Amino acid sequence: MKLSERYNQVNLIATIVIMLITGVIYYQAISLILTNQKDNSLKVEEQEVFDYVKLNHHLPQVFASKDQQITFISAEPNSVKREFFNTTYYREKDEPESGRGLVSSVKVGDRYYKILIVESKVETEDLIQIIFGITIGVILLLLLVLVITNRLILGRLWQPFYSILSELKLFNVTDSREMPSPNTTIDEFNELQAEVTAMAERVKKDYKDLKTFTENASHELLTPIAVINSKLDTLIQTENFSEHQSKLLNDLYSAVSRLSRLNQSLLLLVKIENKLLNDRQHLDLQELIDDLLYQLEDIFNDKEITVISTIGEKEIDASNYLIEILLNNLIINAVRHNRTNGEIIISLTSQNLTIKNTGEQVALNPENIFTRFHKASTSEGSGLGLTISKQICESLGYQLVYSYEEPYHIFTVNF
Amino acid sequence: MKILIIEDEEGLRESIEEYFTEAGNICETAASYAAALAKVELYRYDCILLDITLPGGNGIDILKKLKANNYTDGVLIISAKNSLDDRLQGLDLGADDYLVKPFHLSELKARVSAIIRRKMFNGSNVLNFNELSIDLMAKTVAVNGTPVKFTRKEFALLIYFISNKGKVISKNAIAEHLWGDGIDLANNFDFIYSHIKNIRKKIMEAGGKDYIYAAYGMGYKFADQ
Repeated sequence: MKLSERYNQVNLIATIVIMLITGVIYYQAISLILTNQKDNSLKVEEQEVFDYVKLNHHLPQVFASKDQQITFISAEPNSVKREFFNTTYYREKDEPESGRGLVSSVKVGDRYYKILIVESKVETEDLIQIIFGITIGVILLLLLVLVITNRLILGRLWQPFYSILSELKLFNVTDSREMPSPNTTIDEFNELQAEVTAMAERVKKDYKDLKTFTENASHELLTPIAVINSKLDTLIQTENFSEHQSKLLNDLYSAVSRLSRLNQSLLLLVKIENKLLNDRQHLDLQELIDDLLYQLEDIFNDKEITVISTIGEKEIDASNYLIEILLNNLIINAVRHNRTNGEIIISLTSQNLTIKNTGEQVALNPENIFTRFHKASTSEGSGLGLTISKQICESLGYQLVYSYEEPYHIFTVNF
Repeated sequence: MKILIIEDEEGLRESIEEYFTEAGNICETAASYAAALAKVELYRYDCILLDITLPGGNGIDILKKLKANNYTDGVLIISAKNSLDDRLQGLDLGADDYLVKPFHLSELKARVSAIIRRKMFNGSNVLNFNELSIDLMAKTVAVNGTPVKFTRKEFALLIYFISNKGKVISKNAIAEHLWGDGIDLANNFDFIYSHIKNIRKKIMEAGGKDYIYAAYGMGYKFADQ
């Protein structure tokens, strides 16, 4: 629920409740005042009767009147208690109307009479209705105006908030774009903006520090790796090794070259993210892929993998270094996760490059195959190959997508 | 061959020196910018192995000085910085090659030999080893004058072997030389063996000697024993 909706809802309910309560009180007050007035008019009438009796010593003649009826009934002395009451007023041939009456008594000579004066309240009630109607109308109008202005004003007031929000949605740590400040004089929003900007700066700085750390750490590692490597190369020159020793040396070599590749991969990732490798050359993908397939021929043969390739023409402008890494990673990946006697199908069109390979007959989770150091427990890779491939594609504006169509795992690069 | 190794990391410097020191080679070393500068100003070398990050200065400045004086020493930059800018800057300034740490000594040797060959033969570029004669431009091999057909990889491997003759080259170094970094999927390098077998066979069928020896399952050695 939006803030303004919530606000309007609360506002509306409160206004309606208050309006209802006010309406009831208002109605009661008006009707009390008007009944009072009616009673006064009845009293005046009574007084007129008394005056007449006092002067003439007989009851006045009763004229038929539209809004008033006076009746005299003889009664036992002192049997009538003076009181006002609500009653029904019967006009000739008309519907019964509500009325107000007064019971009183008068002594004419030695005869005792009960006086019954009834007046129609219909005019009073009409008045109440009109007054009440107008009041309700005004209140409703007020409410409507309130809701509309609230909506307009709230919408405008919250504008800076929404612009900050959309900036936040676009926020990306790798992006160097500054957040624009919204046009507002509202302190709260200015404060929010300031905090959001400061936070974004902090996050970016932390991220940059982290990247710098990765880069420095990898750089620092290169020298010791280089020393180990060169010492191993020197050591094997001394000759006369037993079979056991040479097995140990082979294991050392493999471990060092893996360490070195892992390190190179980390450095490469940092460089791609820092956009340090953005040189562009005109590249013939067809030629690059054919070269690579020739280069890897032994590896395909070793695993007895059949490679079927339909390579169309496609030329791109990109960094040669990155494209070579991308192609290498994807094809090596297709070999590494393949089975003996498996298949790799490579096809290149002007729209995309697809590399299909046989392998384990289970689809991989496309959510996490591109995350760092995610790899099958049986994989000998660094767990960075696909991450790097994805990063390269993103940096070039391509899309790298994984899908599974039995029995093929398919990686597609959409140009 | 006279070689100057400018490298501040002692372990690496010593290994390179040891690997390059053999009959007919003179190796000198410098561990700092000042020492390196003093040497290059006094003596001329066939090839200078130049580290970029040095105590007291930048290796690129040494390269600039060499070029400013029109010295023709071959220069191979060895750097931990695998940055394209550095590489391009180095090559633009006249370095002959650029090798990123970590590397195999055999790879370094092959690169240095290539540089020296280019300097010495001045374009003719035929490499001779006993009865073998290799034309580096035409990429052809002749044994006792008879042309023998080599594949691209066999050719590259033969040159790599000759550049490192008398040294044991590990299978890892061979694999990385032939296939680049993509080779980490192989825990056995059986397919190297088939190339070596082919080279041997082709040379011997043309009347040449068998120069390639297996070294304890770790690697191979090319030697005239």
